[in-house]
Amino acid sequence: MPSPLDPHQQLILEHAVARLVPADELGPGAREAGVAVYIARTLAEHDTRFVDTYVRGLTALDAYARTAHGSPFVDLAADAQDAALRALEQGEVDGVDEGAAPFFELLLRHTREGMFGDPHWGGNADGIGWSLLGYPGPRGVWSARDQALADIP
Amino acid sequence: MSDADVVIVGLGAAGAVAAHVLTAAGRDVVALEAGPRLDAAQMTFDEIRNDVRGWLAAPKAAHEEPTFLPRGAAASTAAPFPTVMMNAVGGSMVHFPGLSIRFHPWNFRTRSTAIERYGDAALPADSTVADWPISYDELEPFYGRVEEAIGVGGTAGANRFEGARTTAFPLPPLQRSGWNELTAEGARRLGWHPYPAPAALNAAPYNGRPACTYCGFCSMNGCHVGAKGSPDANFVPWAEATGRLRVVTGARATRIETDDSGRASGVRYLDGRTERFQPARVVLLAAFVYENTRLLLRSAGADWPDGLSNEAGQVGRHYTAHVVPVVWGAFRGRRLNAFNGAWGQATCLDDWNSDHFDHDGLGFVGGGMLSAPQELKPIGVASAPVPPSVPRWGSAWKRWLSDNGASMGYAVGQFDALTYEHNRLELDPTVRDASGEPVIRISFELGENEERGHDFLRDRLHEWLEAAGATETWHGPTRFVEARHAYGGTRMGDDPATSVVDRNGLSHEVPNLGVLGASTFPTAAGSNPTLTLQAVAWRTAVHLVENWDAVAGAGG
Repeated sequence: MPSPLDPHQQLILEHAVARLVPADELGPGAREAGVAVYIARTLAEHDTRFVDTYVRGLTALDAYARTAHGSPFVDLAADAQDAALRALEQGEVDGVDEGAAPFFELLLRHTREGMFGDPHWGGNADGIGWSLLGYPGPRGVWSARDQALADIP
Repeated sequence: MSDADVVIVGLGAAGAVAAHVLTAAGRDVVALEAGPRLDAAQMTFDEIRNDVRGWLAAPKAAHEEPTFLPRGAAASTAAPFPTVMMNAVGGSMVHFPGLSIRFHPWNFRTRSTAIERYGDAALPADSTVADWPISYDELEPFYGRVEEAIGVGGTAGANRFEGARTTAFPLPPLQRSGWNELTAEGARRLGWHPYPAPAALNAAPYNGRPACTYCGFCSMNGCHVGAKGSPDANFVPWAEATGRLRVVTGARATRIETDDSGRASGVRYLDGRTERFQPARVVLLAAFVYENTRLLLRSAGADWPDGLSNEAGQVGRHYTAHVVPVVWGAFRGRRLNAFNGAWGQATCLDDWNSDHFDHDGLGFVGGGMLSAPQELKPIGVASAPVPPSVPRWGSAWKRWLSDNGASMGYAVGQFDALTYEHNRLELDPTVRDASGEPVIRISFELGENEERGHDFLRDRLHEWLEAAGATETWHGPTRFVEARHAYGGTRMGDDPATSVVDRNGLSHEVPNLGVLGASTFPTAAGSNPTLTLQAVAWRTAVHLVENWDAVAGAGG
């Protein structure tokens, strides 16, 4: 399923989700988990009504990065990307859909879905999100022993 | 279409009970169900499909989702809270979390008891809350029959606030998890009275259906082994086995037709794009709060321009919904192992429900059941509100989630919101569904009674999780209206000036038209509604059987 985003928009998306859940000393993040793949598939197959929100939002984020930080979003250092995303979160980026489905909230929601959802839908590669959370993965049968409390060493 | 004795609109929690009782008594029944038949093999372990995308709920929403009119606004918007559940044989019980609990005796007499104990000023002046025309005691035998039929597991006597029961639970409660016991101990430490949630989920094989496997994908999904007591697993097959129930799936009712004498003559419905008519001697609406109301309002005629059974202007009135505080707790250093099991595996308590505590000086009446459930899911936990000191994304959030994700649990309340003059359902004058018919428009505003009651319950939830050993507790920024727990629109009462149906669930104005479901409830109560609406449906069906000639008219 081709992404409804163009290659540059898809690249911005990949860099943005990589800051929402970064790769760090705790392990891989949203980019490694394939969250941008999940979002592209979701926009193509399910949340088609949000494609324009993404196109406008990613374009506006990039324009903001150029104006406020002097470079395209994908070329910014991590802390400048974080600053641009915070501006987006706080409604300080012009040209972004706000209202009932504000772009940043949509992006954050989709990122969590792609990070922690079933890998069947294109994200959470190798169960990266589930490992982070301590979720052992779906299984049909759980015993009383499985449901007992345990101490975390 | 051949004539039926009874046509039922909606084969869910309420309609299926009536189909069972009526066919067992020899009546020929046709059920018009907008949704499909579903199969256990379709019930997979997938949070995105089930919870995020709501695959079971989406088709009903596409046709029936109401709009919302903010107070003072000229035009409606999308509802800011969830409203509809699902269309299917079995209805929303297919994906309900199993909670099958009786209302308290107080819930049936809220108005009179509140005034008796706290004086006239206890109730807000603009509240329309009313006593039910029937009592807990009148409903009690029907609670027992439903519990036996659907297989409710529980421990008799475990809930000291439960009304008197004349029958035992047919099954024990579900397996108790470590989290269930931890929260029970916390409640006992506070002097509260926790009990295992009564649930229609098989702790052991029952009526030929297997036991729950604690898969962790119970709510927002059907059961993959058939351990849930939804109507597709009991009432519907029982009724079909009599040979007297005909189920029409994919049938979306559009209008109740009447004859020259003003009696209901049948139901018009869409089968795909084809319009059909099902004649019947008695019509029962069982299509959930919003659709029951919409069908009456859409069935306007020359002599009743404001809708059927609406001479008194009561259809759509007395609407309310639960207001649901949610509190999260982290139990650092402990793995709760709550990412599995069933939501119906919960520890509940009624110390802060109904009038089980002194409300003097609190500024509200009523309360709600509190529950701490199992069945956490990964996206759900990662999307939960975070404590105020934690950012919502980035490395610091990731660190926090990694430290706490396996140690988080939550507890919820269901506040018994009163009904008000200004909270109601109407037809939206501009928004239409896919068939071009107006949808329901909700007006709903919380009163001070509701805000105080919700916040009071939220404080108790914090205390509870702290007593259970939480290292930190927190809640989100908003008061959550759970309008899938919706009530009213076709209120039950003795006075035709203030209600739509009588104490037996039959219209005051159209003698052979009945309404089933929580749309008839005069109060929300502070507990899950399903068992009560099934018990009320059973009572209505028995009334119909016992008074057939009087209700259906001569010639039967």
